Amino acid sequence: MKRSFGEKLFTAINTIIMVLICVISVYPYLNQLAISLNDGMDAISGGITIFPREFTFENYRTVFSNPNFLDAAKISVLRVILATLLGLLVTYAAAYGLTRRGLPYRKQLTLFLMLPSYIPVGTIPTYINMKNLGLINNFWVYILPGLFAFYNMVIIRSFLQELPPEMEESAKIDGANDFTIMFRIIFPMSLPVVACVALWISVGAWNDWTTTLTYITDRELHTLQYLMMRLVKEAELANSMSMQQTMSKGQQVKAQVTGDTVKAATLIVTTLPILMVYPFLQKYFIKGINLGAVKG
Amino acid sequence: MEKTMEQTLVTKKKRGFVDNLKKYSGAYLMILPAIVSAIIFSYLPMYGIIMAFKNFDVKLGIWGSPWAAHHGMEHFMAIFKNPEMFKAVKNTIWFGLVILFGGYPFPIILALMFNEIRSKWFKKVSQTIAYFPHFLSWIAVIGLVYTFLAKEGPFNQLMGALFENWEPVNPLMKSELFLEIMFVSHLWKSVGYSSVVFLAAITGIDPGLYEAASIDGCGKWKQVWHITLPSIKPTMVIVLIMSLGGLVNVNFEQVYGLQNAFTQLENEVIGTIVYRQGIMGGKYSPTTAFGLFQGVVSLILVVTANWISKKITEQSIW
Repeated sequence: MKRSFGEKLFTAINTIIMVLICVISVYPYLNQLAISLNDGMDAISGGITIFPREFTFENYRTVFSNPNFLDAAKISVLRVILATLLGLLVTYAAAYGLTRRGLPYRKQLTLFLMLPSYIPVGTIPTYINMKNLGLINNFWVYILPGLFAFYNMVIIRSFLQELPPEMEESAKIDGANDFTIMFRIIFPMSLPVVACVALWISVGAWNDWTTTLTYITDRELHTLQYLMMRLVKEAELANSMSMQQTMSKGQQVKAQVTGDTVKAATLIVTTLPILMVYPFLQKYFIKGINLGAVKG
Repeated sequence: MEKTMEQTLVTKKKRGFVDNLKKYSGAYLMILPAIVSAIIFSYLPMYGIIMAFKNFDVKLGIWGSPWAAHHGMEHFMAIFKNPEMFKAVKNTIWFGLVILFGGYPFPIILALMFNEIRSKWFKKVSQTIAYFPHFLSWIAVIGLVYTFLAKEGPFNQLMGALFENWEPVNPLMKSELFLEIMFVSHLWKSVGYSSVVFLAAITGIDPGLYEAASIDGCGKWKQVWHITLPSIKPTMVIVLIMSLGGLVNVNFEQVYGLQNAFTQLENEVIGTIVYRQGIMGGKYSPTTAFGLFQGVVSLILVVTANWISKKITEQSIW
């Protein structure tokens, strides 16, 4: 079929707008990358686009030689690993248990697990509860509250329901118990959904900073995202202060400028893990929300 | 004779129950951690909701603390009397309305545009790029916003190039631009990813419909209007219902992250007040009431929206 002039024009305009959207989507990040690779004093005059003007690794050296940063990185990594492994275990086991054929009280148990998502408990009662549990300034506040997630359970469950029942039954005849069946047979078959949920949990855990803001004051338990929040907000504070007060210029300006490039380097390092797993994220997240959209 | 039959039936039933427990003990054991975790982290804190109706004193505990005045409703009445809180309520609703309804069409339009891309390669690349910001944390996005809008940053550069005599400003210092910045940064972060679910719906449309329409002489616009949009209506409705609860749940991370000395006072929302006065300030009872008020309104909104949608379009999330 021949395409009319109107259609060609349509495609052309569509392409131009799409290119524009892509540029807008990546420009701020590339700009930040360029700033992080630029000399701090030079960056003061602004005007850096997506290429550094005076190239240097100095900002990254500053970031990686900061003990606070290294401590926070350790906490962040440890947290992501534990939250993902344990969260996956609890959520997957629940999903598998609930899909067992003929399970008595399945409905009641599911309702019991679902109900909290509709009851607005609020920040403060949750906070008081954590306090009573001794989880304030405690590393486990990063792990324990998120062990079970109803939505993730639903996603896994709907995947398990699609699996053929024969595998399970033949294993049962061979005398395998529930746990053996789950780990040996069903789990390896459900790797796609497991990958999806694992990425889900780990990205959430990596990107979270409000848990630290709410429950942690102990510096040793700060995470990378929290550190970045402090940097971003404190740099802003410094900026507004320098606007309000006319101080002895030189020093003020210098402190602020090195802050900007180091801040940029921190942001890049903190988001790098996300960038590295992004190809998988794109693949599995999208599968996941389509699953979720169907099952709702 | 009859009696013994009844008895055997009863014992059979009883044994059935015990047998069931035994037979399914593995399954129950697997569900147990989830149940325990739900009890400790979801059901236990529900008890704390009582604080909203009391004058909570840490030393007396939740139960021992005295009830609040006006039959325990004191803290709820304060929401409308206290100008700071009332302003936060107004802001929360206004911000929520703008972001929900103002932002709603964009992912749909983007999905339509993705669908019209002819080149497979370009489609893939542009999707990859457009979804990316979703995976950054809010604080990373706000870091980018700060740099982008700085006096020497790209925003002022661009404006300087476009307009003569452009006086560099930092919009982040302008309280009246707070919502605009929130809206644009929200769009920047989420529009690509939000389009995925619409794109999936569009891809599922029977291509025969388009062929028939184009034989009948329907142009692109007419096809979009008469085929694509009606076909994805169920998805559009579901997404709208699901986001209605968010109408009074403005993103705390975003607001807190963007607030600074110049903009904070005018742009407080319920979540930030609860954090500052409750967690930081220790005023547990008033902020529990404030949070509960928000939660209940949000729940009512979702339930109502779902009910209306069920009546009108037969689409519902339950």
